[in-house]
Amino acid sequence: MFKDVKVGFLTAKSSVKRGNKKTTIFIIFVLSLIFLNLIFLPSLINGMMKLFVGFVQDYAYGDVVIEPADGNVYINDADNILTKIRSLNDVEAAAKRLTVGASLAYEQKEVGVTILGVVPSDEEKVSLYPYIVKEGDFLGDLSRNEIIVGAMIAGTGPGSEIYDNLGEVKIGSLINATYGNNLKKIYKVKGIQEGTFELTDLNALVSFKELESVLGIEGEHKASSIVIRVQKAGEEADVKSQILGMGIKDKVFTWQEKAEVLIKQATQSMSTLDIVSKIVSLIIGASLIFIVNYINTLNRKKEIGILKAVGVSPASVIISYIFISLFYVMMGIILGLVLFLFLTLYLQTNPITFYGSLKIYPVLELSLLMQSILIMITMSLIAGFLPSWLVTKESILDAIWSRE
Amino acid sequence: MKSEEPIIKIRNLKRHYKTGKVIVKALNGVSFDVREGEFLAIMGPSGSGKTTLLRILGLIDKPTSGQYTIKNLDVVNLPEEEKIFYRLTQLGYVFQDYALVNEMSAIENVYIISLMEDLSKEQSQETAKLALERVGLGDKLDRIPDQLSGGEKQRVAVARAISKTPKILFADEPCANLDTKTSRQMLEIFKMLNEKYGQTIVMVTHEDWHTEFVSRIINLKDGRITSDKKVYK
Ligand SMILES: Nc1ncnc2c1ncn2[C@@H]1O[C@H](COP(=O)(O)OP(=O)(O)OP(=O)(O)O)[C@@H](O)[C@H]1O
Ligand SMILES: [Mg+2]
Repeated sequence: MFKDVKVGFLTAKSSVKRGNKKTTIFIIFVLSLIFLNLIFLPSLINGMMKLFVGFVQDYAYGDVVIEPADGNVYINDADNILTKIRSLNDVEAAAKRLTVGASLAYEQKEVGVTILGVVPSDEEKVSLYPYIVKEGDFLGDLSRNEIIVGAMIAGTGPGSEIYDNLGEVKIGSLINATYGNNLKKIYKVKGIQEGTFELTDLNALVSFKELESVLGIEGEHKASSIVIRVQKAGEEADVKSQILGMGIKDKVFTWQEKAEVLIKQATQSMSTLDIVSKIVSLIIGASLIFIVNYINTLNRKKEIGILKAVGVSPASVIISYIFISLFYVMMGIILGLVLFLFLTLYLQTNPITFYGSLKIYPVLELSLLMQSILIMITMSLIAGFLPSWLVTKESILDAIWSRE
Repeated sequence: MKSEEPIIKIRNLKRHYKTGKVIVKALNGVSFDVREGEFLAIMGPSGSGKTTLLRILGLIDKPTSGQYTIKNLDVVNLPEEEKIFYRLTQLGYVFQDYALVNEMSAIENVYIISLMEDLSKEQSQETAKLALERVGLGDKLDRIPDQLSGGEKQRVAVARAISKTPKILFADEPCANLDTKTSRQMLEIFKMLNEKYGQTIVMVTHEDWHTEFVSRIINLKDGRITSDKKVYK
């Protein structure tokens, strides 16, 4: 067996070294495109998901989030829980929020929104809301009749053209809000936030106290969610179990758990696209590698016959073609990675953008890389084996002297 | 006693090629024995079946019918793998059209066989070098076939066949592309191998003067033996 490998290696080496250079380069180039195809779109989609998950973390859920137990509208005893959580070692900050649906009206226009009630001084430590106010200012702890509106509903930000909006809301404009319980309030616009993302730009923020009074739950220590930031990335699961250990009845999620659900829900179509593109590239890739190798092997039918005629074992011949195929694929992978790098650099300066400022970059996960390399290598093994095996089955006479 | 028992026995060997509707009877009932240590020349006009016969003897082709044994072993019906191994370890073959691997240098074409016989790379290269030097190509070890003349390629093919001192050497017009002087050198090598190592040699040739080196001549015509005589010196 070892001598078969030795002889196979010698044959492969001389064949690659002295074979037609143009053919070799062409084969490697095609293989590199196959590989690029295998990793590019998935890593772009991955980059998109990363961005999306990042937003979800930075605005909606923090690192860990507590939500009301099944059947409850609110987390009861929220202030007590907050105090306990803040005293945990690994917790950086925590904030409570209230959420309620409402419709906002300005002049003749009206839109439905989710209004978030936040404690402004706490929010600074758990989310990016306070930092994306493009015009005006964020809420203060004493704000009562003031509101922050998202740029998309204000009708000023990128993306607002695709959603209903309030026209041209400005700082100081007065807006009518109608809550689900038919309570009506008038708010003065204090700021317009722009995160170039529906989650932020289709929302409106008022102070926690304001929503408490609207909902008529003042002094009841209730909240719709508690958003927590941990000190170091990676401590989420640990913090979650500590919170559960406190014996609360409400539901606790890490951002990873939330992201998983979200990605499953919101990117169904995306991952279908991903899978379809993967399967298509796989089939094309496998066929190409196979065809390239098959033609290559058939062109060397005579050599194979000669090798057999002088006593070289079929196993060595097959091994040599596997070596050759592996070599092509390895070079293809390397060249493919170089191309990927260039493409990434290009996208660094010419990013794919949404809403004018939401930039998407390809993010190549190690697991995807490994998976793609494994696929390429498996295909090359098969494509190296099958054709040479078929040719070694032929009689020497046919292989060397047949007129095809 | 060893020269009494034939090493090669063929009986009523036939090889028919089918090309479309026509059947070419390249060998049409050939029988003879070869004793160990013989240096046999096969002669005959072009198309008489010499190459066809030699390929069957070298286990590269199969007869349509008839028996062929080496040391009483039915080599024709060996499984493919064993046949390849038998060829590797017992037989040497010089092809009429050289059959060199185009992408391998002269020395690689030769030493790949020793490598296959499980010699180390250094040993293999050493034997290959010796064989190539013997045929006068010591200065062209690293040339690929495309960089060699017809005669040089032929000598690489000879070197490949003799490098491992096979029990039986088959050579199909090994001097066809060589000048008289080089031909003589090749034949001297064959004679030396035959006399010093007792190798059995079956050589196809159509040059009458080559027969001064051999011990026996078989003449073929239209796939049949027309004469079989010993050469006495
Ligand atoms: N693969 C083949 N298919 C059909 N006919 C063949 C094939 N190989 C050889 N022949 C025919 O068989 C006959 C014997 O051919 P062979 O090659 O054995 O002759 P040869 O004696 O070696 O001739 P030369 O001296 O020209 O080399 C010829 O008529 C040839 O045309
Ligand atoms: Mg011939």
